[in-house]
Amino acid sequence: MGDYWNVLRNNFPEIASGFLMTCRIVAVAFLIAMGVGIFVGALRAAPSKMLNRIGLVYVEFFRNIPLLVLIYIVFYGVNQADIVSLDRFVAGALCLGLYTAAYIAEAVRSGVFTVGRGQMDAALSLGLTQREALQKVVLPQAVRTVIPPIGSLIIAMTKNSAILGGALGVNDILHRTRQIYNDNFKFAETFLWATLAYLILTVSVTIIVRKLETRLAIRR
Amino acid sequence: MGQIFDPSNWEWITSGNNLSFIFEGFLINLQIAIVAMAFALIFGLVLALGSISKARPLRAVSRMWVDVWRNLPLIFILLGFGLALPGSIYSFWEDNVPAFLPSAYQNGRIVAAVLGLVVYNSAVMAEIMRAGIVSLERGQGDAAAALGMTHRQSLRLVILPQGLRRMVPATVSQLITLNKDTTLVSILAIREVVRHARTITNANPFTPDFVKGPPLQVYLVVGLMFIIVNLLLSRLSTRLEIKQRRESGVKIESVTGLEDQIAV
Repeated sequence: MGDYWNVLRNNFPEIASGFLMTCRIVAVAFLIAMGVGIFVGALRAAPSKMLNRIGLVYVEFFRNIPLLVLIYIVFYGVNQADIVSLDRFVAGALCLGLYTAAYIAEAVRSGVFTVGRGQMDAALSLGLTQREALQKVVLPQAVRTVIPPIGSLIIAMTKNSAILGGALGVNDILHRTRQIYNDNFKFAETFLWATLAYLILTVSVTIIVRKLETRLAIRR
Repeated sequence: MGQIFDPSNWEWITSGNNLSFIFEGFLINLQIAIVAMAFALIFGLVLALGSISKARPLRAVSRMWVDVWRNLPLIFILLGFGLALPGSIYSFWEDNVPAFLPSAYQNGRIVAAVLGLVVYNSAVMAEIMRAGIVSLERGQGDAAAALGMTHRQSLRLVILPQGLRRMVPATVSQLITLNKDTTLVSILAIREVVRHARTITNANPFTPDFVKGPPLQVYLVVGLMFIIVNLLLSRLSTRLEIKQRRESGVKIESVTGLEDQIAV
């Protein structure tokens, strides 16, 4: 047992900074994923065929390409063009965000469609304007159905953030763990702490989502 | 943007055997995905049955196992297995693997790669299956019991056939995810598509007429291969669903939202 504590004590600054780096990646990617995801989801739910098509191409491209390959395309591609040089962190977080956005878009779209057409009609027949109907009737319901799937997507995104450490060498939990292991060659002692770090992250996202769900729940 | 389509950036594709080299790598990824999925389905079912078992310790252990593995990053699991397995396993594999297999399989780390993929994906599949089974109304089990079936019979004859059918769409989308995830085994230096791509982007001094591929274009081609196969897979799953519905005459409810929950 003492070995485990020693590894933690000797490497605490590295482990902590890796943990914070993973948090930073997740935070930045989250903002991108939500922004782009909701926008593309709106395109997918829009009544225009053209917009729909654009949204579909986005979703199918980003959902079916491996994140690792996407990261290489963006990181090497942009740096190859030699116009701007892209930081590893920025390239990675951007890819992770855009990749997750495709899934979020689909969740948003199906969330909007689960609110029946009848709801909109009923609201309009009560004399609400289109805008009011959307704001007061459709969206509040859509948001609630969308939260659980988006929560799971954020968990998946948190796990996927490790690919940045593996592929680009961003100093996240994975990369730090690798460095520490290369120093001490103590597998179990080093990986235990990384495992705990990842579980703490994924479990806390789960708890936050569940809290949000119960807070927004409507009593029927 | 002109960069992307500049013809000089695409010369590599007709040079030497570059394109077929990438494609060979891609086939390795598909093979790894299929093998891993086959094992993941078997172990996933065992874990799912464990996590709905009536025996409390068995249930607790199975749930714990599933929850831990599916909440860890796959690339982290792969790296872990790669470092944790004793070297004797690798050398045993390398001594005994048939020589006709592609070089990707000659590397002993392939054992760690497949093991990692199976452990992670069996946990994910177990969760999908458990949700499929639990989503069946309680009534089905009660009705089976009322007909005098034992718990085991009702599971085998009533619950599983229906519950597993519901998870077909979620399974296909997990297969798509797994297919993408096979690129992560490149972290263990297995010679699959990403490694092959990297070879092409690095100059090769041994073939004089070799044209080095620019990374952007090379990885775009790799990405396109995945997109095409994955689109075909999802097309197939919709087709399967419609066919099933038509044959059975009833609408088979699938566990919706599961794809979103677990895939990616």
